Amino acid sequence: MLKNTPNSPDDPNTLNIGNSPNIRNIRNRLGDPGHQSPDKESAAPLAPAEEGSSPDVFQEGSSVPRSEFWLGVLDISPLALGVAIYGLAFGLLAAQAAMDELETGVMGALVFAGSSQIVVVERLVAGAGAVSAVVAGIALNLRLLLVTASIREVFRGRPLWQQLLGAHLTTDENWALMLATRARGVTVGYWYLVGGGGALLVTWLIATVCGVLFASAIPEPRALGMDFAFTAAFIAIARSLWRGDLWPWLTSVAVVALVVLGKLLDPSHALVLGGVLGAVMASWRKEETA
Amino acid sequence: MTQAVADIYPVIFILALATFSIRLSGVLLGQRLPQSGRWARGLKALPGCLIISLVSVLVLSGGPREWLAGAVATAVALLSRSLPLTMATGIATIWLLRHFF
Repeated sequence: MLKNTPNSPDDPNTLNIGNSPNIRNIRNRLGDPGHQSPDKESAAPLAPAEEGSSPDVFQEGSSVPRSEFWLGVLDISPLALGVAIYGLAFGLLAAQAAMDELETGVMGALVFAGSSQIVVVERLVAGAGAVSAVVAGIALNLRLLLVTASIREVFRGRPLWQQLLGAHLTTDENWALMLATRARGVTVGYWYLVGGGGALLVTWLIATVCGVLFASAIPEPRALGMDFAFTAAFIAIARSLWRGDLWPWLTSVAVVALVVLGKLLDPSHALVLGGVLGAVMASWRKEETA
Repeated sequence: MTQAVADIYPVIFILALATFSIRLSGVLLGQRLPQSGRWARGLKALPGCLIISLVSVLVLSGGPREWLAGAVATAVALLSRSLPLTMATGIATIWLLRHFF
């Protein structure tokens, strides 16, 4: 589920799957349990967290973690709708790769990173080898390193099981949502993240398995244009990742065009090569463009 | 269209292990990761470059119909920034093109 990069959660480029106004309404109706202490420090993504700058008020909170958890669940719901549609589409793709409901469910629960799941299965359906498919998927997930690193203060001092659970449940969506909520001055932390992530995991499992079941009712997905669903989805995702720097993307497209049209390499390798060379171009360019 | 993948479980487990390791590494390594400079810039740019590469592979592997539908989907994405709308328009466009042209 790749809809935001480790940049700013309030980036106007962020993919719009229905966001803030209704969230705010829900929160007002609930009587916001968040304590209105503006926490700009932690709202800045990737800003080095300073020791003790944001004490977690929920650490030994009796019923507070629970309400924070449910606030996370509520706030994520507009985004979960987008994930559900995406998940249905992934289920259709998984069925094309001859995956059954169990395999799809196990994959969703253990991997829980939609865009990489889609890339890997799409590459397998396209006839690429398992190794190049997995390499592409892992490369795509490297961004999660920056995502979890940017909110590491949320995990500090927690028991190991909570750290492991929280790390697994961190996705682009609940990460960005948490930072956006904090940027509005609402102090939310670990349980908010876990609430959003848990809701997304359940949504993802239901939607992907439904997609597999539904696919058996569609004799020929290609005739309905379903194979194009991912191309369109990735175009929308690319739009949300746009950071205003043309050169890296131009490099990627040029490399891929050269390799694919010239039939120099397998398309899966072209994909990784184009992505990496684009990133190299970005790192060479002098200015910070984010 | 259906293509049997010999055994999907090794793929699932390797991807799952790698992904979890990446997530946990962010938590554990934390401050030691580059927050700025060349490596951080490259790492930040990687997802977008991979996605645009994937879009290029998918569109270029198709024919003129896919190219046209890709252009329509791009226009919708630019204007609406909506994932469901872009998917719906893309599917509808390719369906129309395949059936009537």
